[in-house]
Amino acid sequence: MHYIPLNNFFSQGIKKHLTRSLTFRLILFISLSCWCMGFLIGSIFPNSVYSIISLPFLKIIYRIVCHQLIEKSFFYNGHYFMVCARCTGIYTGALIISFISLFALHKLSENIKMLSIAAIPMIIDVISTSTGIYSYHKVFALLTGIFFGSAVFAYILAVIENNFVDNSL
Amino acid sequence: MNQNKLLPSLVCGFGAAVLTTVPGVKNFACCLIVPTAAVISINLDHKINRSEFPIKAGQAILFGVMTGVFAALFSTFFDLLITYLTRTNDFIEALPQTEDFIKQYKLDSLLSETMIIFKQMSKDINSYGFSIFYAFAMLVSNLCVNVIFGMIGGITGMSFFNKRKTKI
Repeated sequence: MHYIPLNNFFSQGIKKHLTRSLTFRLILFISLSCWCMGFLIGSIFPNSVYSIISLPFLKIIYRIVCHQLIEKSFFYNGHYFMVCARCTGIYTGALIISFISLFALHKLSENIKMLSIAAIPMIIDVISTSTGIYSYHKVFALLTGIFFGSAVFAYILAVIENNFVDNSL
Repeated sequence: MNQNKLLPSLVCGFGAAVLTTVPGVKNFACCLIVPTAAVISINLDHKINRSEFPIKAGQAILFGVMTGVFAALFSTFFDLLITYLTRTNDFIEALPQTEDFIKQYKLDSLLSETMIIFKQMSKDINSYGFSIFYAFAMLVSNLCVNVIFGMIGGITGMSFFNKRKTKI
């Protein structure tokens, strides 16, 4: 029978876990990058025929998740983003945290309180603009979206890793 | 999955599809509608079927996927119905702008084919209120996006309800 020393066994286990965790986070980062690239494609490649021809289809796809009101969307390089400023913020926040998570492989905890706190500025902004306390501002919407999006991504990542990646060890 | 298990996803998927069709509601919640529907469907299942805690990850994902699928089917139906009644939609309205832009370039054969398909879609919708290609594109995109967002809602709901139950 072949015995593996206990410290080697643990280090191999941790190494395996970290590799799985990193692979999973990398997949999430690539997926999110593709998603963000989709709603920015017209602005990033304004003169590409392929990007122009894909715009009507991309508009259909992003219409499912956003109202796409042009007065609430950013305009760059002759094209409006496919999603509103708030959604741009949410996805950007998620992308930033997914990028950071590639380098900081800490085990995240499922913190509902953090998620609720991150949602407060966005809820206040939505209520304030809807009731007319102050008028809609794209930068406010973007910033509150980034804050909320980053917390949501961290929470979802924690839930998935704690329930799927850890169990597969 | 028996009929009682399917009911919460069906109800919540229908609700999500209705809410995504109503423009005013969509302005507030946007991308949170389908994930919220998945969370509610898990809660409904536990109230109707008195399922056991903790909720298993596979079960939560299944509820998320089913809610996403039903939301996609109903929202495609609503979209096609509105397109049939109005004989226009966002796609048709955006097409002339795309066409103008594309005229500036020399297109290769593949892109020319794509433009022909776009024009055929536009013609079908303007004259019959329905285009099979548009319906297919709508269904596929709705399914892909809603299933992913439903799954996110499902796993978030699982974590939320399991935590709440352990606190009680």
